[in-house]
Amino acid sequence: MNRTIVISQILVIEQAPGWLVAALNHAIIAGVLLIGGAITMMLQVWVERRLIARMQDRLGPNRVGPEGILQSIADGIKMFTKEDIIPRAADRWVHLLAPIVALAPIAMMLAVLPWGRGLVAVDLEVGVLYIAAVSSISGVGLMMAGWGSRNTFALLGAMRSIAQLIAYEIPLIIALLGIVLLTGGMSLARMPELQAGIPLFGSSIPGAPDLGLGWFIFTPVGLLGGIIFFICALAEGERTPFDIPEADSEIVAGYMTEYSGMKFAVFYIAQYLLNFALAVLSAVVFLGGWQGPGVAWLADAGLGAAASLLSLLWLLLKAWGLFMLMVVIRAAVPRLRVDQLMSFAWKYLLPLALVNVASAALWVGLTEWSSIEWGNLLPVDGLAPWQRIGVAALVTAVINLGATRWVLRINRAPAAAPVVVPA
Amino acid sequence: MSSEQQPGVIVVDRGHPATRDGRGLVRGIGVVLRHLRDAFGPRLERPEQTSGVFTVQYPEERTPLPEASRNLPILLFDDDSGHELCTSCYQCERICPPQVIHITQARDPASGKAVPAIDEFILEYDACMSCGLCAEVCPFDAIKMDHAFELSTATRDPLTVDRVGLARPVSYYAQLAPQAWAEARDGAMKKLQGSRRRRTGTVGMTPARAAPAPADAPAAPIADAAPAGEPAGGEPVPASDAKAARLAAIRARNAAATDAPAPDAAPAPAGEPVGGEPMPAGDAKAARLAAIRARNAARQREGGDA
Repeated sequence: MNRTIVISQILVIEQAPGWLVAALNHAIIAGVLLIGGAITMMLQVWVERRLIARMQDRLGPNRVGPEGILQSIADGIKMFTKEDIIPRAADRWVHLLAPIVALAPIAMMLAVLPWGRGLVAVDLEVGVLYIAAVSSISGVGLMMAGWGSRNTFALLGAMRSIAQLIAYEIPLIIALLGIVLLTGGMSLARMPELQAGIPLFGSSIPGAPDLGLGWFIFTPVGLLGGIIFFICALAEGERTPFDIPEADSEIVAGYMTEYSGMKFAVFYIAQYLLNFALAVLSAVVFLGGWQGPGVAWLADAGLGAAASLLSLLWLLLKAWGLFMLMVVIRAAVPRLRVDQLMSFAWKYLLPLALVNVASAALWVGLTEWSSIEWGNLLPVDGLAPWQRIGVAALVTAVINLGATRWVLRINRAPAAAPVVVPA
Repeated sequence: MSSEQQPGVIVVDRGHPATRDGRGLVRGIGVVLRHLRDAFGPRLERPEQTSGVFTVQYPEERTPLPEASRNLPILLFDDDSGHELCTSCYQCERICPPQVIHITQARDPASGKAVPAIDEFILEYDACMSCGLCAEVCPFDAIKMDHAFELSTATRDPLTVDRVGLARPVSYYAQLAPQAWAEARDGAMKKLQGSRRRRTGTVGMTPARAAPAPADAPAAPIADAAPAGEPAGGEPVPASDAKAARLAAIRARNAAATDAPAPDAAPAPAGEPVGGEPMPAGDAKAARLAAIRARNAARQREGGDA
């Protein structure tokens, strides 16, 4: 690979054995990703606290460093110096391992995300499957925390979080499935490449400029899928209004009740890193990833490095925008009840996600199948690719809109009876 | 709508139709973003404002305290003459719920008779509950509640405050609470004139004039640098020693009055202090304490016999 050669040239170790070069290569990339993740988490905490504070007519932390930007470092030092408490009744090893089990899979998610044009640590052919598999491991860590703490609140929180994770994992993955159908592959690295061109039509119109705006969110399938995915990402990341597992007004801090010091900090890091990873994933799958105006132009002009840098900026911009949307939602929406949480996942999101997969299949059929594949029922061969996309967009838009209205209507609660005051 | 209204049915008008299908979320986000925008605008100060930052960045910014705000008691003295308004009437000591006020009355050095002035006034700030009853009950407007509240210390000692530490000029209180002082001034000053006629020499003059003024008190004009009115027969002692000695003296006197053994504050045997003889600091202090305790006990017994 290119990168391997570059690094071996820098280190002048051409004569070193290949395995050593590969190991160094991976170590450096992993280091960059993890350090970047830690810095991102600190920035996230600061941004969230300052933003939420303004929304609540406060100022937020503004004392440590310029505008309080070093507050997270101060908090980190505090966490480091705190006493590490293990309850006497706790299962010592399970209690100790739980934060690690919760954090590790989330750090592993960072490996397959395409951070920019040509900037992906591991280009897995089954990236989507890997993400789905790895992200559900952290639920084990939460259950270990709840069970190992030997605390009723912790156990309640852990059970709530497992119920929530399982309920929302299904629509999350089915929403991804629609995009997998569209792209015809599970590689996350390839997804941004397929979202070049202009909105909706992508690169299908010959002669149209490559604006890097052919994002899936502009198609009906991608729009519905993106909304479902983002809602599920809120639930997976335990963001308000889905912060039921750690509802501090009800069950102290959920599965984190018995954690203090650095173990608590590890849970905290895991949570924010998961939020960021899910924001990046949403951006990659639905918002074009690193695609954006200017990237293709720079690449065509032969400025590959500049194009990569710009693409990284685009991705970070989108991911931070989604994270700020999470913050705004946290400030605006109160926490759901457990039954509302469950009914929302199973009665709204799951049917819509299934309909969305059907729409995606129809889209693929209308845009890619030949007339013979349709059994000569549809004369699609005569249409230009952009015309076929237009037809597909129209059909899927009708299906998705109709399905959304139908799901909202059948789930509508009967109008509340007027309040009758006894005479 | 009114035609459909039945008796006993309340129709709630929310001002907007029921929010469904995510419209509540959109409205909520709108509210939040409005607050976010206004948080960069003018501060929230007027009651009719509904948004804007209301944070007061405390050490740099402070909200003015209301005039009737009260934290801990202080003793007033007259700016011009240096005479304390307090007459040792013991009203505050009696009413104080946590019993943190300790007063000894001054005596005329010549005749030994009690005069309306204080010999010592000790207040334990650390146990004071800031109820303000002492200031409420004081017939001479001599004890007032201060506004100062930043009194954190690393040790307990500075929180046992004596006559010097409690003294504030009248002008300081007049500036704290102009309205309250305007109402009380004439009566208080008239009563002070009455008290002054029965005081002789430096009795009743605040020793704070000789001591450095408290940091938060306005610089009072030092008309006469009268020496600190020490208890009769006492020699000038360093401030901290003096404070400890006074507390010990009061404790010892109280103990003697109840005929109980004195609290074991000082291990040194009672003996008259030898004036001017150099002693190690600890011994000197212990000896002085014991001397004061013995003298006070003796005085108590005399008073009881007479």
